[in-house]
Amino acid sequence: MPAEAQKQLFYEDVEIGQEITPLMKGPMTTLHLMRWSAAIENWHRIHYDRPYAVEHDKLPNVIVAGSWKQQALVQMLKEWCGAGGWLWKIHYQFRAMDPVGATLTCWGQITDKYVRDGLGFVECDIGMRNQDDQETTPGTAVAVLPLRGGRPVPYPFVAPQK
Amino acid sequence: MDGSYITLEIKALIGMEGEPQTSCEPVERSEVRRFAQAVMDDDPIFWNDADAKNTRYGAVVAPPLFPLFAHRRPPGSPDPLATAATDPDFDGFVGLLTTGLPPVPLPMLPRLLNGGNEVEFYQLPKLGERITARAKYLDIYEKTGRSGTMVFIVVETRYTNQHNELLMISRLTLIRR
Repeated sequence: MPAEAQKQLFYEDVEIGQEITPLMKGPMTTLHLMRWSAAIENWHRIHYDRPYAVEHDKLPNVIVAGSWKQQALVQMLKEWCGAGGWLWKIHYQFRAMDPVGATLTCWGQITDKYVRDGLGFVECDIGMRNQDDQETTPGTAVAVLPLRGGRPVPYPFVAPQK
Repeated sequence: MDGSYITLEIKALIGMEGEPQTSCEPVERSEVRRFAQAVMDDDPIFWNDADAKNTRYGAVVAPPLFPLFAHRRPPGSPDPLATAATDPDFDGFVGLLTTGLPPVPLPMLPRLLNGGNEVEFYQLPKLGERITARAKYLDIYEKTGRSGTMVFIVVETRYTNQHNELLMISRLTLIRR
């Protein structure tokens, strides 16, 4: 994979405070919501049944599924790590709801970096902002990057020795 | 508030492990395609055999969080919609039926929200693999805020393939309110 090897991000390339390449999704219409519900065969009504969402669950409208939003955060980090890196850990809270129509931007910022077992570990704050710049899905992540000239990130991934 | 929602019966659930649940079907190409299309992630590792062959995966794989959704209703099992669809309180959520854990009895808190997750990834599932989930109630606690009391249910699930290799660990927080 010469092309991929050239594009690979290395531990030495990143600094604390640096931003992860953002990923934008949306606007998320009812069609997108329905497509996701169908793909995972989950019929939770708050994502497609407006009377149920509004009258029963007292929501402003049908809402974008958290189960879908987390996929976008993972995608952003996977793409940033590249074919030779690895998204090891991700944590997020669904703090605010995004009603249908939301445009969502995944973001990340590096908060720490360190080397362990010959691999580069990068910790970051992550989240998802909607079109009103409201943070709805704050969290953290740990990505693993190879060192320049170092060993490849093992696959299957092996957690570092404490 | 008239006392805690966390009854002795609910406390007894904390730490309980469910029977391992193996997906009724192996990871399928069409299922992975629909999943990736709904996420809007065109990464060739999810569909292109030739490209995927030259990656660390060696073959087409499912998106990282796919194991959370690998457990579909087995053919021939009772249809949850047969009785519940006309129940005005039925929320339609059927995901927790796949944990092998008994439900948390909270009839006074009929609404369910996904609170978030904490995930560790080790390997992505390949097409044809069968995913087994081993779930347990890690914690169940309540919090009272402006909108009343909510109960937080934390389910830890270890997902493995048919070779008992660890794919991922999830610590999902479900909110009942």
